[in-house]
Amino acid sequence: MELDPQMIERISRKVIEMGGVAEEAKIRSKLNLLINDLGINEVEAERMVIEKYSSDLAANKPSGNQNAELGKISDANPGDWVNIVGKVVSLSAPVSPAMSQTGIIADDSGAIRFVVWAKANAPTLELGSWYRLESATVDEYRGSPSMKIHSGTKIREVDEVCTLIPQPVPIAEIKPGIATVRVKVVQNWEPRHERMMQTGMVGDETGTVKFVTWKDESNTAVEEGKIYTVYYAGVDEYQGRLSLNFTGATILEDEGADLDVADGSTTVFGAFLNMGPGSGVIKRCPVEGCTRVLNRQNYCPDHEVQTDFRYDLRVTGVLDDGVCARNILMQREVVEAVTGITLEKAVEMVQSPLGLDDVVDKLKEVMMGRYFRCRGSNLDGTILVSSCEFVDYDSANHAALINRASESVEVLQSGAQGGND
Amino acid sequence: MTDGYSGNSAGANAGAGNGMQSGGQNGAQSARKFIREPAKRVFAAELRETRLQFKDGNDEKSPVYVILPTGERCNRIFFCGQMTQKEKKGDDTPFYTARVTDPTGIFFINAGSYQQEAMAKISKIEQGMYVSVIGKPVVRTTPDGSVFVSVRVENISVTDIDTAKIWIDDAAKATLDRIAVFGKTDDSIKAEEFYNTNLDVYKQAAYNALIKTEM
Repeated sequence: MELDPQMIERISRKVIEMGGVAEEAKIRSKLNLLINDLGINEVEAERMVIEKYSSDLAANKPSGNQNAELGKISDANPGDWVNIVGKVVSLSAPVSPAMSQTGIIADDSGAIRFVVWAKANAPTLELGSWYRLESATVDEYRGSPSMKIHSGTKIREVDEVCTLIPQPVPIAEIKPGIATVRVKVVQNWEPRHERMMQTGMVGDETGTVKFVTWKDESNTAVEEGKIYTVYYAGVDEYQGRLSLNFTGATILEDEGADLDVADGSTTVFGAFLNMGPGSGVIKRCPVEGCTRVLNRQNYCPDHEVQTDFRYDLRVTGVLDDGVCARNILMQREVVEAVTGITLEKAVEMVQSPLGLDDVVDKLKEVMMGRYFRCRGSNLDGTILVSSCEFVDYDSANHAALINRASESVEVLQSGAQGGND
Repeated sequence: MTDGYSGNSAGANAGAGNGMQSGGQNGAQSARKFIREPAKRVFAAELRETRLQFKDGNDEKSPVYVILPTGERCNRIFFCGQMTQKEKKGDDTPFYTARVTDPTGIFFINAGSYQQEAMAKISKIEQGMYVSVIGKPVVRTTPDGSVFVSVRVENISVTDIDTAKIWIDDAAKATLDRIAVFGKTDDSIKAEEFYNTNLDVYKQAAYNALIKTEM
């Protein structure tokens, strides 16, 4: 049966619309197979050929097209199919046998984590080499974009494109993904997990953030007080908090330099409008290094029942300026200074049956509904108060407000006296 | 305490400068992270005129807001004043009502069995004393058709005249701030439509309150 030229024409047009290459001979042979050999009706056959082209194009977008459009890594968003040219700047041990390689690839716009699936049958990527990757996919893993190299991804090693000099990002501006930072190591903490090599806090002029280095062959340890540029650190997000992952990152010490780390100290003003649970006299676990609060049965979540506890005094609550309600936490020294209720006095009260509640009532009596100015550092949305004072009536502020109110309404002065009562 | 928390999706200023905020859409965020609604400062004269009340969301526990005539939503307010006309009502389930006067008018406050602590405190406070009150505004229509705005007390404490004076400045500033952005925020556009607010009335009230505390 002769093929309808109009049908071939329609298919060619569709294929070109989809961005493919329409070769008449190929279309003709496909149609021939479907219609004449398999006896499929023309309408169905036309649909099948178009579908075949469309799925080929989607799975292998730039197939046969060496000039496929290249994207920038910084523009890659979850859900995208991408073609990029980048340099493998870091390799890490895959966490699953389904992955043959994991690491970070960068171009002059940015960097992204990548995963090569074991099933992709891809060539092994070498650290420091440049590759052209076509038809990789981008998805999201724990809030960060991640590029997947699968069986449909074309990989070709290419010559060095340019020298990559990543610019450090201020800590206040880091986003989940990959970032290069220039930071000072503020504190080293005791690793709490056997797979963890190092953890602590780093910071720059804009803020501080926690960092973690997991055990791996290639890691560099950092020293407290020193300044480093960390190339291609991972930025992870967990429960809304960001942390830096130095595992596999290139860490260079910036010798002799200095950096003023923002101490995060802020002053907040407001009325104390809520006293939280956990305020008043508490009992702390006496085990060395543990400061956890015991419950009413003297039970520590880590060290079980502890009868030799020590008492402490604290206040948690909300300081509210009418625009923002901030959580605050006051330790014993601050509570004693502000309220005049000492730990000693409070512990005395606690000995009576309703003593715990009495202490809370006393604290509320002094603090609830009063205006305070607190200074402290912001830790995950709670201000750890280092000093706090009652706010006095400010007559200069009062006068300024009168001026402001009278500016807005001209007729006020005359109306003010008669208008009331 | 859960009662005191509400989603962050509300409030023109909610979360501004709050360190807890991370990226993401408001909707997704309110499900994950709860940010306490700040207590708005409002004079009795303005609260008395408040009528627009709505629920933000369809959930049983969705917060109920009122929109003030000067154009800001609130589900919690803070004020100071002198307590008068304290009354114990109800036989089986007692509750307290009282008035708190500020320089512009009267707040009607109440506390029932769901506010045990507040009720106990009101019972102990003598009339004429200065108090600070944190509570939820409630707009009700009485059987005879008149509308009544009251405040369900979360906390009430005896305070001093200095704190009351700081509050007056605080409330005046908040009122002037609301007036300054009136017509520029979603809530104030709603307020303008609903109340057809004459801002001069509230400027005047703020001014009068400030002048009164001079004496």
